[in-house]
Amino acid sequence: MKRVLNFFRRQPIWAILLGIIVVTSLFRPDFLAIGNLLNILVQSAVNGMLAIGMTFLMINGYFDLSVGTVMGFTAALTIGLQPLSVPVAIVLAIGAGAAIGAINGFFVAKAKINAFVVTLGSFIGVRGLIYIYTGEDALVGKVYEFFSFGASRVLGIPTLFLIMLAFALIGEFALRRSAHGRRTYAIGGNVEAAENAGIPVDRTVFLNFVLCGTTAAIGGVLLAARLNAATPGLGWPDTNLMTIATVVLGGTSLTGGSGSITRTLGGLFTLGVLYNVLNLFNVQSFYNLLLTGLVLILVVYVDSHLKQRRVRFE
Amino acid sequence: MRKIIVLLTAGVLMVALVGVAFAGGQQEGGEAAMDDDVIVIGHTANNVGIDSYQTTHDRVWTETVAAMDGVETIQLDAGGDVALQLSQVEDLIQQQVDVIAIWPVNGDALVPGAQRAYEAGIPVIIVNSLIAEEGFDYIEGFAGPDTYQQGVNGAIAMIEALDGEGQVVDLMGLPGYVTAIRRSGGFHDYIEENAPGIEIIATEPTDWNRAKATEVMENLLVRFGDEIDGVYVADDNIGIGALNAMREAGVAGDIVMTSACMFGEGYDAMAEGLIYSSNYQSPAEDAINAVEMAVSIANGEEVPFWNFFETPIVTQENMDEYERPNF
Repeated sequence: MKRVLNFFRRQPIWAILLGIIVVTSLFRPDFLAIGNLLNILVQSAVNGMLAIGMTFLMINGYFDLSVGTVMGFTAALTIGLQPLSVPVAIVLAIGAGAAIGAINGFFVAKAKINAFVVTLGSFIGVRGLIYIYTGEDALVGKVYEFFSFGASRVLGIPTLFLIMLAFALIGEFALRRSAHGRRTYAIGGNVEAAENAGIPVDRTVFLNFVLCGTTAAIGGVLLAARLNAATPGLGWPDTNLMTIATVVLGGTSLTGGSGSITRTLGGLFTLGVLYNVLNLFNVQSFYNLLLTGLVLILVVYVDSHLKQRRVRFE
Repeated sequence: MRKIIVLLTAGVLMVALVGVAFAGGQQEGGEAAMDDDVIVIGHTANNVGIDSYQTTHDRVWTETVAAMDGVETIQLDAGGDVALQLSQVEDLIQQQVDVIAIWPVNGDALVPGAQRAYEAGIPVIIVNSLIAEEGFDYIEGFAGPDTYQQGVNGAIAMIEALDGEGQVVDLMGLPGYVTAIRRSGGFHDYIEENAPGIEIIATEPTDWNRAKATEVMENLLVRFGDEIDGVYVADDNIGIGALNAMREAGVAGDIVMTSACMFGEGYDAMAEGLIYSSNYQSPAEDAINAVEMAVSIANGEEVPFWNFFETPIVTQENMDEYERPNF
């Protein structure tokens, strides 16, 4: 019991999520219908994928504005390159995402240009690539197996969600146990101290940008499987900001140094559940956005308040 | 203290949530989805707020349903995002509404959504803009404007204005987009069958873009000069773009223009005598027609696949009978 309380104290987002779920199920028991819960899971798969790489980058003290259009571009590649065979299309799409991440990483880590400027540039530039590649038209998948894979389930749970969850678990493990993970925390916490300790700062930052581009590309592949089509508008205009909101909502610090994938999942499910609940109550979508914004500010406020108290107690 | 803060926050959120839910959900469509006596129409709109046509459509949809007994609606807005629209269709399936009405963000990308609803046994109608033909097996039908007939109307007016003799150009919308293809097709078919004296000397895509329409018309005027007797445009936005080029070249008013769909600015241009004819497509009629089709299907009535609403021809003579469109 004490451990549970401690967990909620450290990650208040899960307490809020639980609160929303309990209250909603009192008013609308059908919220807990298996089908509805599975909908929430499958709908959070793509955004979750984007948020995993973003969590690494934000713990590192940076963020990436290009994830939305990278997702759109790689979704288009996944569909458009299908004539080469589906596995080849997927590999090339993920490779393209990693390459864009590498370009971002190079300019930030090596050329020391501000990450906001660099990723804003690639955010806009990649959108141009989408239009060049798609010719402004929707691309439609012709491979039935790929589409049915997107709708498939394993033991009753949507496959796309399980893929995202697997990456989340690997990511959390890597953050906590690998040398790269520890370096990421160290640099986000204090760059100078990290440098003095002999940590390869540039290389770590570069790798995290590549990682972020890669998970955005995997998100693009999952999205392509879900839609069996790619339209030029995918990921535009605010997918990037919603991804950052997901990570921040979970409680990862915007300035770096602290956070975890578990927290990000908390933010992801809270946004997913909130959206679903407001739909169930037939709330107009504009209120939906308003409430999402309010929740974001409130949660971050509570989190920072609790953190101060934790520090005082320790 | 910490616990209290967390609880307090959660409490405030709950109150806000429930408050908004009751304020926004006066239609109570969500609740009614479980009630067997009430027909619930789930609707996911393309992008409310992007233009007045869609905003008016959405408002009239709400009003039409509110005026009906035993009918309720869950209105969602995809905000121009295909992935979000697919999620909304999934949610509507989960809520077991009686009919799902989709105004597709994209005709190709929404086929899987229609398929899923079909497999779940929930009838789907497509509103305003068609989905791709692969999806036709999964839908009950289409409620919207007869864009092919709009093209035919453009041709009828063109033949009348030119007395069946002359050379015309067709400025179409975005290639690959159903509305563009049908508006252009109706015009071509009718001219070819009924006006041997009229020759369509060029068909050019403008991508629904006014600036591109100006550019295309400039090039056509250079290419053909005063050989052009008439211009047919896929909507008034393209028409205004073409008129800009014609004004520059000093030929506005000399070349007959017929349009497939009237906008506010086109109404003004018609009053100036620059556009010969257009079709009046009312967003209110569009919404009412779609709601009626959805209700008929929920009541188990047989409905035809194509449910068009009237988009009458407007000319300089009868334009007084119509209000200036607000889009």
